Amino acid sequence: MSAVAGFVVGQRTSNGRDSFIWWDWITRRPDEIWQRTLEHVQMTVVAVGIGFVISMLLSVIAVRWRWTYGPITWVGNLLYTIPSLALFVVLIPFTGLGFVTAQIALVSYTILILVRTMVTGLDSIPPAVREAADALGYTRLRRMRSVDIPLAIPAIIAGIRIAAVTVIGLVTITALIGNGGYGAFINDGLNRRFPTPIILGASLSVLLALIVDSALVIIGRIATPWQRIAEQRFEAAGR
Amino acid sequence: MDLDTAAIALNNVTKRFSETGPAAVTELTLGVAESEIVAFVGPSGCGKTTTLRMINRLIEPTEGSIKVLGRDQDALPAHELRRSIGYVIQQIGLFPHHSIRRNIGAVPELLGWDRKRIDERCDELVELVSLDPSLLDRYPAELSGGQQQRVGVARALAADPPILLMDEPYSAVDPIVREHLQDELLTLQERVHKTIVIVTHDVDEAIRLADRVAIFNIGGIVEQYDRPAAILRAPANQFVASFLGRERGLRQLALLTVNDLTTIAGPTATLTTPVASARQLAAANRVSWVAIGEGQQLLGWVSLHEADARWPDGSGEQATVADLTLQDFVAVVRPDTPVREALDVIVTSSSQMAAVVDDDTFTGFITISQIAGGLD
Ligand SMILES: Nc1ncnc2c1ncn2[C@@H]1O[C@H](COP(=O)(O)OP(=O)(O)OP(=O)(O)O)[C@@H](O)[C@H]1O
Ligand SMILES: [Mg+2]
Repeated sequence: MSAVAGFVVGQRTSNGRDSFIWWDWITRRPDEIWQRTLEHVQMTVVAVGIGFVISMLLSVIAVRWRWTYGPITWVGNLLYTIPSLALFVVLIPFTGLGFVTAQIALVSYTILILVRTMVTGLDSIPPAVREAADALGYTRLRRMRSVDIPLAIPAIIAGIRIAAVTVIGLVTITALIGNGGYGAFINDGLNRRFPTPIILGASLSVLLALIVDSALVIIGRIATPWQRIAEQRFEAAGR
Repeated sequence: MDLDTAAIALNNVTKRFSETGPAAVTELTLGVAESEIVAFVGPSGCGKTTTLRMINRLIEPTEGSIKVLGRDQDALPAHELRRSIGYVIQQIGLFPHHSIRRNIGAVPELLGWDRKRIDERCDELVELVSLDPSLLDRYPAELSGGQQQRVGVARALAADPPILLMDEPYSAVDPIVREHLQDELLTLQERVHKTIVIVTHDVDEAIRLADRVAIFNIGGIVEQYDRPAAILRAPANQFVASFLGRERGLRQLALLTVNDLTTIAGPTATLTTPVASARQLAAANRVSWVAIGEGQQLLGWVSLHEADARWPDGSGEQATVADLTLQDFVAVVRPDTPVREALDVIVTSSSQMAAVVDDDTFTGFITISQIAGGLD
């Protein structure tokens, strides 16, 4: 980003290649923008999807066998702190340039975020609800499926929001190893010292992050109708 | 109690939560008969909850054995055993994300009943626990505490388990609702005949609900296990006596009805009784009035102060009580009135006596002495 800022300063020509934003350049490429959007969304959905499945499994394991929580978060933490570019360097000799390498880096990033929020969510289920479920004769698995996980949905959604927004940002970097997405605009602009695509790529990824985040909020609300009622009741009581 | 025939039989059960610490429950042997309500009472931390939770294997005993309906407790996997034992807790623990209908139908759902049968059962249960059927489609957060508690009971009874365990079910609701729920439990029990174990802090609740009460001491030691009246009349030891508190006598009164007392004739005259005899009758009873009876009926009472005022010079002795103003008798109790209530009637009335009347038939009077006499 600092490259963008440094580049922009002092460039104040009229509409054209060197201007801050060359609108005509943008409006001439709806297909390319659409294509890049699809690529970006695809990278994000695949990464968060795989991260979600892995994290869900790890979280259930961590809650069921408590001692595993420490090691799981330790590994998650390690993966999270390795800079993505460094990870690319390590992975490229094994998995080559492209989709798989990028996904490994992205998925690694989501795990810590998702496991932490999921475990917190599963842990915060009221003990009385859990006790009641046990006493009524739920098996462990059944309780996990129909009580623990549904009640952890708000926390799980919160984790997915953070993971998704983070991944949308990171996908712009995976363009460096040839995975398209909005990062391709940014690369293009940097290579050609041409500001418009840089700004376009950056703005679109911010916009996408906002849209995805809002969509997740709405999905969360739809998935937890009981929460809305509890909130209304709480508000009504406050008045 | 014969452990072999008991619905719930704890045999020499000990629970230690740690190797070294004191036992939460120590060598407890206790049987609960079928269709009986048993209350566990005792100070905080004495092992009531631990004992209750060992019955449905939420806690495994360290030593000893527990039989439920004659079967060894671990003959079944724990979750299957639990489906045949209803469980109600103070915090209720309704599933916040399920409708009331789904909450109530939880165990039938686990047992694999079909949707239609579950729905019919839910409709029956809301009626049984006096809930408005329109609440079935709401979420728990939309219900009051008392309503939630009823849902908790309905959920526990859904698959018609022979046994119901309740851990301080009513301690989170206000006293008025609590009394209501207690009454409902007794009415419900008349219909369902469950074997019920209820844990409570409240001695009055135990006396009111239970056929037998187990008084627990720290370490899960049962100091006395008997009918409430027997415990109140003869506490086994100092611990039980002090746990029952100073109001032990009053609590006993809650268990007696006027029927259990001997009535006295009291100052009862007829309309033709001369005022002079009425004075003697009143004096003998240390009151200043006489009741007027006619056959089996109590007509009312007359005041002898009125006679004093009317004939200050002592004349008028030829008059009869019929010449005085007949007033309605207000301190009236029925044979099935609890003695505690009768006592209240006596101390708050100026007559110092309560008339016992059963469907218009006057059977005599009770005073504080009759009540005191009934206590032993
Ligand atoms: N899971 C547990 N781990 C360790 N100790 C426990 C556990 N559950 C109960 N205890 C201990 O066992 C003893 C009995 O506890 P329990 O909950 O049975 O008491 P209680 O009679 O139900 O008390 P209260 O009236 O306060 O509910 C207490 O000393 C308690 O601290
Ligand atoms: Mg308790």
